[in-house]
Amino acid sequence: MTMRPLYLFASVGVMVLCTVFFLSIMRGGSPERMPVAVVDHDHTSISRRLCHEMQATPSVDIVLITSEYPEARRAMQRGEVYGILEIPDGFYSDLVAFKRPEIHFYVNNAYTVGANVAYKQFLTMCNLTSGAFQREVLRKKGLPDYLIMKRIQPVAIQAHMIANPWSNYAIYLVSTILPGILGLVVLMLTIFAIGFELKSRSSRRWLEVAGGNYTIAMIGKLIPYTILYLVMGIGCGVILFRFMHFPVYGSTWRLILGIILLVFAMESMAITIIGLLPTLRDAISIGALYGMLGFSLSGFTYPVMNMLPAIQAWANLEPLRHYYLIYVNEALMAAPAINSLPHMLALCAFFIPALLVSRRLHNALVYQNYPLK
Amino acid sequence: MRLERILYTWWLKLKESTWVFTNELQRVFRDPGVMVIFVVATIAYPILYNCIYWKDNVENIPVAVVDLSCSPESRDFLHRWNACPDVTITHTCASMAEAERLLRDQKVHGIIYFPTDFAKALNSGLETAHISLYCDMSSFLYMKGIYLSCNKVMLESMNGIQIDRYEAMGMNEEFAWSLVQEAPYTETALFCPSGGYAAFLIPAVLMLILHQTLFFGICMLGGTAREENEELFRLPGARRASVLRIVIGRAAAYFVIYAALSAFALLLVPRLFGLPHIGNPLDIMRFTVPYLLSVIFFSMLVSTFIRNRESGIVLLISTSLIFLFIAGVSWPQEMLPKPWLWLSYTFPYTWGVHGFLHINSMGATLAGTAKEYIALWIMAAVYFVLTCGMMTLLGWWSEREGNNWRAKSSGMYE
Repeated sequence: MTMRPLYLFASVGVMVLCTVFFLSIMRGGSPERMPVAVVDHDHTSISRRLCHEMQATPSVDIVLITSEYPEARRAMQRGEVYGILEIPDGFYSDLVAFKRPEIHFYVNNAYTVGANVAYKQFLTMCNLTSGAFQREVLRKKGLPDYLIMKRIQPVAIQAHMIANPWSNYAIYLVSTILPGILGLVVLMLTIFAIGFELKSRSSRRWLEVAGGNYTIAMIGKLIPYTILYLVMGIGCGVILFRFMHFPVYGSTWRLILGIILLVFAMESMAITIIGLLPTLRDAISIGALYGMLGFSLSGFTYPVMNMLPAIQAWANLEPLRHYYLIYVNEALMAAPAINSLPHMLALCAFFIPALLVSRRLHNALVYQNYPLK
Repeated sequence: MRLERILYTWWLKLKESTWVFTNELQRVFRDPGVMVIFVVATIAYPILYNCIYWKDNVENIPVAVVDLSCSPESRDFLHRWNACPDVTITHTCASMAEAERLLRDQKVHGIIYFPTDFAKALNSGLETAHISLYCDMSSFLYMKGIYLSCNKVMLESMNGIQIDRYEAMGMNEEFAWSLVQEAPYTETALFCPSGGYAAFLIPAVLMLILHQTLFFGICMLGGTAREENEELFRLPGARRASVLRIVIGRAAAYFVIYAALSAFALLLVPRLFGLPHIGNPLDIMRFTVPYLLSVIFFSMLVSTFIRNRESGIVLLISTSLIFLFIAGVSWPQEMLPKPWLWLSYTFPYTWGVHGFLHINSMGATLAGTAKEYIALWIMAAVYFVLTCGMMTLLGWWSEREGNNWRAKSSGMYE
């Protein structure tokens, strides 16, 4: 293992790089100051006031004020702005004449995250404009402010974002991405470690050292790797949930147990894959295809319930999916242990296919009857 | 005479380049591992991803209701909310504790709670009535669907209540209407009208698939050559390195294969699966040329550092997600810390994905995305020069090593 710097780079280097990368790009937590454009056909004090008030909010940044819609649209097509607010000609005069001038806004859905921020802000601004106007009219009618506000807003929604009240993207994404990357590293390197014995035709010697016993050979080979992976897995958990203070409302220990089981499940899947395809080249390619799909199939971005039924079934075959559900139970929902138990058992069940292929893999190690490349 | 000779040498060089080209094509087609990555992955992945993100929008998110006010007003609100495509009311609970349990067991992903005084506050004509909404944050798409749809229903029913209240104040209906909706607005979602997740993510993933398969395949080929002691920088039988001919010949081979594959992934797949495709196909093809070239030379440069066939996998797993995030697709470019932003400018994917989104999803012309187009040509040129430079260095090293070896072995026999 220490002979090849690749192992150390691939495991430790990749994890450190990804941890630093993902934690640093999402330092802010949620997107702020998204660039938007305003098309002002009106050029009055009220349209400028609208711009100023919007500029004063943290979520958007007006980078372009123009009186030509095509110019703003071109800026959007170049990816420079995520949204356009269009204030019609004669906005001010129509407003005071009760002619209900219409504001248009456009968001660029080709970039969802930025567009969502711009959309929410535009929606709020438009409703506030109506509200501010009503307030002025009611004031003129002589109503006191505290009564006005209740007339303007008869219904209010108090939204509670459970366990992540800041809608912090870092907490949401990194908690699953980092263990996912660890799982992928474990999968690929375990395939590599076993497959390389086959490729370099050293598998017989490896078995001889273990006294010809397949189980001892396998355990002996995987122990140093496993220790390394577990240290990284626990380290990853400690960094996220202790140092970075990502909220865990349930048990941190059970969450870390989930990461540990994820490591073992990924090792088992690696043995299964190299056992089914005892050629390093094929196993690596198939392993990469299988492992990368885990991120999408875990359902942390796009819910599994909206996938095709066949794909939903497949999602259960990805260890990361079960880790994600344990994470939801433990960190966000503070659910009792019984809720995480089925997923922990599912992660343990990944041992079974690894045991089933042991005969085939043993034969491959002894007879070396598969192509080299 | 002299001109003839020059022309003849050029003709020879061209012939050698063509030989490299056909030879490389043969290497690719004879290598099942590379074929799996190049062809099978490039065709299977776009189809798989479309099956995963099948419904585009997240629909019918199960939610629970705790209605302690039990009033016609709250029922009206719930009817309207249930009619939204985003949510489905699956459970009606008698208490918050019951609803919380459902949420904890992930049976529902949101709870709406009407307090006992909801209807009273509404009908008093003076109070603000409160609704509490609890969102499951395990996926932001749940939160977005639940929160935005509830907000819309709230705004809609709020207008009705406001009008009632203004009428009660003695305003006529028309005036009350104009007051409530004094500044109406229309919202237009440009480019992906559905605002769906697939329409946003898959075009970017298509470009990533082309990039990563090409990258991994070229690294595999480079590693194999190293393992088999083939010298990639030298023509067989030649004594000196002939870098230019080899780099051009090999790149042409990859380019020909990927021209066909990218036509499938970038032109056919969006049309097959109903993804946005409002760009001019000709512009997309023209944009793909510098993209493929820059990715090919970028990968060839990286592959010169690779000693084993499988080592590329390490780069593949560590870079795929990083590319997606650093390019500013999954995470806005404006939010990237400056050093990462500068680093992202050195990757062809960053420019390629934005250019493709601009043309394919946003209907820009090639001139409209000139920045990305020019940047990709510059990248292709820079990585071409760097690849040639690395190859020359490798050739020089191996020649020196060869000489040393010869010197040593001749010394042994003396």
